[in-house]
Amino acid sequence: MSIDVGPVADFEERRFRIVNAGGHELGVLRWQDRFFAVHNRCPHQKGPLCLGIVSGRLVGSAPGSMEVDDDVPVVACPWHGWEFDLERGRALWEEGYAAKVVPVRVEKGRVLVDVGRSARDPAV
Amino acid sequence: MYSGPVIDGDVHHARNNDAELIEYLSRGWREYVTGRGRAGMVPLTVQDGMPNPHGFMRANTYPEGGGEPGADYPTLRAQLLDASDLRRAILTFGDDSHLAGHHNPYFANELARACNDWSIERWLTRDPRLASSIMVGSQMPEVAAAEVRRHATNPRMVQVMLVDNPLGYGFGHPIFHPIYEAAEETGRPVAIHGGAGGWANPSSTGGGSVNTYFEAHTLWPQAIQTHLVSFIAHGVFEKYPRLRLVLIEGGSAWIPSLLWRFDTEYKGLRREVPWVKRLPSEYFAEHVWVSSQPLEISPKRDQVIELIRSMQLEDKLIYASDYPHWDADEIDYLSTRLPTEWHSRVFFDNACRLYGWKPEELKKRVPVEERVT
Repeated sequence: MSIDVGPVADFEERRFRIVNAGGHELGVLRWQDRFFAVHNRCPHQKGPLCLGIVSGRLVGSAPGSMEVDDDVPVVACPWHGWEFDLERGRALWEEGYAAKVVPVRVEKGRVLVDVGRSARDPAV
Repeated sequence: MYSGPVIDGDVHHARNNDAELIEYLSRGWREYVTGRGRAGMVPLTVQDGMPNPHGFMRANTYPEGGGEPGADYPTLRAQLLDASDLRRAILTFGDDSHLAGHHNPYFANELARACNDWSIERWLTRDPRLASSIMVGSQMPEVAAAEVRRHATNPRMVQVMLVDNPLGYGFGHPIFHPIYEAAEETGRPVAIHGGAGGWANPSSTGGGSVNTYFEAHTLWPQAIQTHLVSFIAHGVFEKYPRLRLVLIEGGSAWIPSLLWRFDTEYKGLRREVPWVKRLPSEYFAEHVWVSSQPLEISPKRDQVIELIRSMQLEDKLIYASDYPHWDADEIDYLSTRLPTEWHSRVFFDNACRLYGWKPEELKKRVPVEERVT
């Protein structure tokens, strides 16, 4: 089920906007003209995931090196800091553990989320 | 009871007196140590500030002809090497193992070099079952690395051993990395032995100094925990992917709880250490080995077994007696505490894998006298 959650202009770059979509509380994020949506609920202890820090994935090629991979947006839950990539919702330490992301797209300047489907569904 | 071949991963060989080691010092350092006139010699060992009420040695390990426990080869041979089907014993030095506790880093370097030469000449030449640790003055890691490389072609110098912590940082700190680079390059595991904080004063405990040997010894694993966490957090195993680490004389039952916590912390704090690319327990499983002594005694035997099994440590656990120390674990005793199906692994196979020994070669019985080099 596609739900219109507002015009593109309402979404600030790199900042979650919490929306209610079909009874689901989602965080919708604009990131370098891409959009991501995730349930505002951490799979760990049900914390408000989308209130956490958003950044590109921090990577280190050697001890002491700290770089940002802006191609991989990540949210860190504000309760315990567990990090999830927003593309597929996967925890950064284990692919099988994930936050629930939903497909999101832009049509005619409007942001639409598909709350009936998971963004991790390969058919999407 | 286990009666198969055994490898002992922690045997403290010692010297009877200072003169034994002084002859291995360079002429200049010999003069420095002995030329104090009526003031007597500069102490070669770090002074002990935490006395054990029993003494540190088993009473029956004092050689009949006099001298120190672990210092007399015939006694050590009779009590340890020939007392079971022991195929290899890894020597870990006595009080000299604490040489990195010396304030003078140059003196520590020289002592390390002398100790290693003493170990080779006085011990390895006497019995092919003996292998030795390589002592290093970790105060100056580049010099320590050179000492490791000096033994690269001697296969009986089997591991690099760190004990006292001279610089106050966990051993994963980059300042120590030259040692690990040399260890990886020469294929030697790094061993961290109990006491790996400071031996004398302060003793190696977190949170504050303690006042009795009872406290210090109970908290012995703390320093090893610090160094293990430091190794992984600083990405040592990412930087040196073939490096192996052996934790000696710290027990093992604490490992599951530490790793469970460590993994959980990683999930929340990975942002701080993005060069750590896997769960800490995964690095541990791939790179870390543990000596058995002292095996924690749980109220029910199965409790400690369950903890060890939870981390599959039965495949990484290496029997170690700690001879001739007061709290050494006997083979017969340990075999009654461990499941029978673990025996061959813990007493023999795991050490073969760690040190690269071929089990079939070690199982060949060769009279010791014929193989002495």
